[in-house]
Amino acid sequence: MITLSEVRSAAAVIAPHVVRTPLLPFGPGWIKPENLQPVGAFKLRGALNALARLTNSANGVVAYSSGNHAQAVAYAARLHGVPAAIVMPDNTPAVKIEATRALGAEVFIVGITERVERAEALVAERDAVLIPPFDHPDVIAGQGTIGLEIVEDLPDVDTIVVPMSGGGLISGVATAVKSLRPDVRVIGAEPALAADIAESLETGELVRWDPLRRAETAADALRDEPSALTWAHIAKYVDDVVTVSEDEIFEAVGALARRARLVAEPSGAVAVAAQAKLGTGVAVVSGGNVDPALLARLLA
Amino acid sequence: MTCIIDDMRLVTLEDVQAAAAAIAPHVVRTPLLTFDSGLTIKAENLQPIGAFKQRGAVNALQRIPSEDRSRGVVAYSSGNHAQAVAFAAKTLGIPAAIVVPENTPQLKIDATRAHGAEVFVVGITERESRAAELVEERGATLIPPFDHPDVIAGQGTVGLEIVEDFPDVATVLVPVSGGGLISGVATAIKALRPNVRVVGVEPELAGDATASFAAGELVRWDAHDRARTSADGLRAEPSDLTWAHIREYVDDFVTVSEDEIRDAVKQIARRTRVVAEPSGAVPVAAYLNRDLMGGPTVAVVSGGNIEPALLASILG
Repeated sequence: MITLSEVRSAAAVIAPHVVRTPLLPFGPGWIKPENLQPVGAFKLRGALNALARLTNSANGVVAYSSGNHAQAVAYAARLHGVPAAIVMPDNTPAVKIEATRALGAEVFIVGITERVERAEALVAERDAVLIPPFDHPDVIAGQGTIGLEIVEDLPDVDTIVVPMSGGGLISGVATAVKSLRPDVRVIGAEPALAADIAESLETGELVRWDPLRRAETAADALRDEPSALTWAHIAKYVDDVVTVSEDEIFEAVGALARRARLVAEPSGAVAVAAQAKLGTGVAVVSGGNVDPALLARLLA
Repeated sequence: MTCIIDDMRLVTLEDVQAAAAAIAPHVVRTPLLTFDSGLTIKAENLQPIGAFKQRGAVNALQRIPSEDRSRGVVAYSSGNHAQAVAFAAKTLGIPAAIVVPENTPQLKIDATRAHGAEVFVVGITERESRAAELVEERGATLIPPFDHPDVIAGQGTVGLEIVEDFPDVATVLVPVSGGGLISGVATAIKALRPNVRVVGVEPELAGDATASFAAGELVRWDAHDRARTSADGLRAEPSDLTWAHIREYVDDFVTVSEDEIRDAVKQIARRTRVVAEPSGAVPVAAYLNRDLMGGPTVAVVSGGNIEPALLASILG
C-alpha cells in the first residue's frame, strides 16, 4: 500500500511539469478538469513520477495502454530524454495513436488481449523498463496528487467521485484523501458495461470480467481491470461505486462542453455522469482525448 | 446615477492589483495551457460564466456604494458582459436588468436569465439608449461593458496572472472589441514588464480598432458592418477611454479571416481540450496564420459560449 508521504513526494517531483488544474463549479458540485493536462489526461502525473524515479533508464521504457497512459509515458520519456516503445490495442481511437507517435514514441498495435505479452517481450529484447499503466506504486502515488489538490483547494469537500478502470487513479486519490480527511467519501464511477469493480466490491473479492465484455463500453479508457495492488487500495478506501449507462456518459460529455467549456472523452465524463446521480461532490474529469467527430455528433 | 468619466485618467497597476484582491473569491484562477511549443493559452473560457467579463463585472459591482446597491444595476451587452453582470449581481445580492441586441445567440440570453436577471431584447443600435432609460427610471447604476475604469481594472487581472505564471512570456495576444480587456491587460503588463509585446487581434470584418491604430486616431465603422463577423463578442468599438489605453500601451494590431477563426476553434478543442467561441479563438487564429515572430506567446482565449450546433459543424 502506498502512503500519504509518497503522494506528497510525488507532488513535489511532478509540479514543474503538470498543470495545477483548477476546481470549476459544475452542476450540483465541482469538477477537477484533468483533461487540461498537456497530454489531455491525469495519466501524466503517474508517468512523470515513475520516470523521475527510474534508476536505470538507458535502454528506454516500454508501456502498454488503451491510450492515455501511452501518451503520458511518451511525453514523460521525451522530457527525460529516454526512448519509449508503446504497445496499444487495435481498438484504440486513431487520435490517441497519432498523438503518441507525435510525441516521438515507437508504437506497436496488437490485439487487445496481447498487450501485456508484447510489452514484456519488448522489455526482454531491449532490457528496457516497463512502466505499467496502474500496477505500480510510483504510478499510483503520482495519480494521488489529484487528491491532495482537491483537499487543499476545497477544504469543506464531502464527496469525491473518481472514474475506475485499472484503479490506479482512485487508489492514489483515496490514499491521499482518506489519510488527510477520513470523513470525505470517495466514490468510484464505472460504466455499467464495464462494472467489474462494482461487482467486486459487492461480493467482497476481485471479480474478473472477460476483456471483450469490458470492451463494450464507449469509455475506451475504462476497459481495464484492477491488479492485486490497486484492488487492495480500493477494498480498503473506496466507500461506494456508482455505475452509469452509455447514454448518461454521452449526456455528460455534452454537458461538459456546453456548461463547463471542456472537451471530455467518454471515459473522462463518467464521474460527471455519476455526480449527476449523486447530486453532490467533486467529479474528476480524467481525460479529453475524444475523436472530434464523436464530440460533434454528441453536440449536434 | 450613470457613471460619468470626468477626466481621462488612465487605469493604473495599483487599480488592477486592488481589483485582483477584490475579485479573487469570485473568479477562477485560470491556468495557462500548452497549445504547442510556441503558444500557451490563458483559458478565460473556464470562468463560471464562460468568459473573462466576470472579472470586470465583479470588480465594478463591488465598488458600488452600499447605499446605491438596492436600486440595482443595468448593463447592455452583446452577450458575455450580460451574463457577467447577472452573475456578479446574483453573487453580491444586487438586482440586475440587462439590455441585449436582438442578434445575440439564444444561448447567451438564456444563460443571462438563468442568473436571475431581467432581460430586455432590443435592436443593435438601441442598446445604449434603452439602458440609459432603465437607469433613469430606476435610479440604478449603469455597468458599461468596457467604458469604465473599474471594469478595465478587473479585466487587467488577466495580465497580472499571465506575468506571474509565465515569467518568460514575450508576446501577449488579446482579442479587441470595445477594448476593455486589452486596456486592462496592457496596463498591467506594461507596468510590470515593459518589454513584453501586447498585440491586439480583430476579425477582418470588424477591424475598426486595427484601422484606428494604423491611422493614429479613432476610426468609426458602421455597427452593421461590424456585425458581419461570426465573432459576436467582437462587434463593439472602443470608447475614448479604451482608445487612450490602446494608444498608450498596445504595440501592434493584426486581423484574421472568418475561416481562420473557425479553424482556431477546432485546433483549440483538439490541442487544449477546451471549448472556445469564435471571439475567444481570434488570438489563436492570429498565432496560427500571421508571422508574429514574438517568442514565447500567450493567447487570451476570452470566452467559450458557442452554440453547440456551431461547434459541432466546426468539429465535424
